Amino acid sequence: MCASSVIQGTTLGATRRIRTHSGAATGQLARQRPAQPVAWTEAEAIRLAQAGNAAAFEFLYQLHGRRVYALCLRMVGNPADAEDLMQEAFLQLFRKIGTFRGESAFSTWLHRMTVNVVLMRLRKKSLPTDSLEETLEPDAESSGPKRDVGAPDLRLSGAVDRVNLERCIEKLPPGYRTVFVLHDVQGYEHNEIAGIMGCSVGNSKSQLHKARTRLRELLQEEIRQQAREERKAAKTPSGSLE
Amino acid sequence: MQCKELEFVLETQGLEQLSKDARLHLATCGDCQGLLADLNSIVSAAKSLPAEVAPPDRIWISLRAQLEAEGLIKEPVEVSEHSSWWESFSAWLRPRTFAIVTAAALVLAAAVYLTRTPRTPHPGVANDQPVAESSRPVQPSTTASDSPSSTFPVTTPSKGPALSRPKELAPSPSESASFTLNQAELDVPNMQLAGNSQVDAALRQNLRTLNAFIAECEQHLKENPQDELAREYLYTAYQQKADLLAAMMESGRGDN
Repeated sequence: MCASSVIQGTTLGATRRIRTHSGAATGQLARQRPAQPVAWTEAEAIRLAQAGNAAAFEFLYQLHGRRVYALCLRMVGNPADAEDLMQEAFLQLFRKIGTFRGESAFSTWLHRMTVNVVLMRLRKKSLPTDSLEETLEPDAESSGPKRDVGAPDLRLSGAVDRVNLERCIEKLPPGYRTVFVLHDVQGYEHNEIAGIMGCSVGNSKSQLHKARTRLRELLQEEIRQQAREERKAAKTPSGSLE
Repeated sequence: MQCKELEFVLETQGLEQLSKDARLHLATCGDCQGLLADLNSIVSAAKSLPAEVAPPDRIWISLRAQLEAEGLIKEPVEVSEHSSWWESFSAWLRPRTFAIVTAAALVLAAAVYLTRTPRTPHPGVANDQPVAESSRPVQPSTTASDSPSSTFPVTTPSKGPALSRPKELAPSPSESASFTLNQAELDVPNMQLAGNSQVDAALRQNLRTLNAFIAECEQHLKENPQDELAREYLYTAYQQKADLLAAMMESGRGDN
């Protein structure tokens, strides 16, 4: 899957490339955007949805759908799967909304369901080739930060563009990918991620650092690959194509 | 401080607000300087990625249909005090409503049947495939690589005389469904639907949304006839439109 298709295009070709905010704010835009003329708070909408009010369901969907969809897109890498997963996540949410008592933030609850749905899908897909431990909880020795002794010390500054980065994010193990997307792309704090992932804050920090260092390795490999291709192209005589 | 210790600091405290010890180490270690610069570049690039992406409208349409099917949406239903069960039943049997709903259901059933059933090759045309192969049931699939004979063609490009359908003989089921639904829709503009302007507006808005979605699906299928996912969406939308039109006519006070 081409990395650029992660954020643009849909199955039906209705191209949408919507960039909302690039900062690290945690969902403030989504919370402030009125989904429809109805002026509800989130709590009111939840209470009405628990009673089966269709407009309240839609209000909650409009309030959180964009972030959930972005998360699904980054996690699975293609719009068709992301649509399926988003629908499944919201369906689970609305089925269980009657049990929501407000102990945690609604968005945390929703994102936890979304992450579970996504990881379950990725787990099913990866079963034939990878073990769960390897893809979800890589241990520090096998997948932690590595320093290649003697390897050329490439600097990434100026070389990290969005396309490269998205391609490398897709190559991360799901556990790393989830924490990285939630923290560095969506702007969640470690305590929120711990709530979403059901892990400790320390674990979230550790996973994030490993994700970043793994990304560094992947990006360096991309740069080396590009350099190899450029050298190869330079060696090829221009007349040999004819 | 050693390099390993600095990495532990970066992991536990993040890339900012480094301690004095960490800064001292950084000032003397080129490798760690490079690591920190690279991690900062990655974080900076990640922040430039959109944190929100608008999902396609069809997700909500499909989700809402599912919520209704599961009974999670409980719309308040206003029942007239004077209407008996027989009046309700006879109203449902009003000829036009009944005919439309029945026709739409039949067309959709035919469409689904043709979609899920392998097509028998034309007897008069040579077919290279063995009989056992052609009569084998085809699994429902959503992949675009399926055999054209197992899919329902809207504008399927002809791959041979045995698989092509002469368009002039009969309209395809999706065309029939579209035509039937459009005929039913002709009555809607002049109809006062529910005697409640807000409900009327909501119903008409839903119809417009569905029509736009159907048009998008049809256009996409013209360009990508093998897209099974789009076809599924289209049939679901037809079904929803049939349901919506039936609901509108039920609530209407037209001369039907």
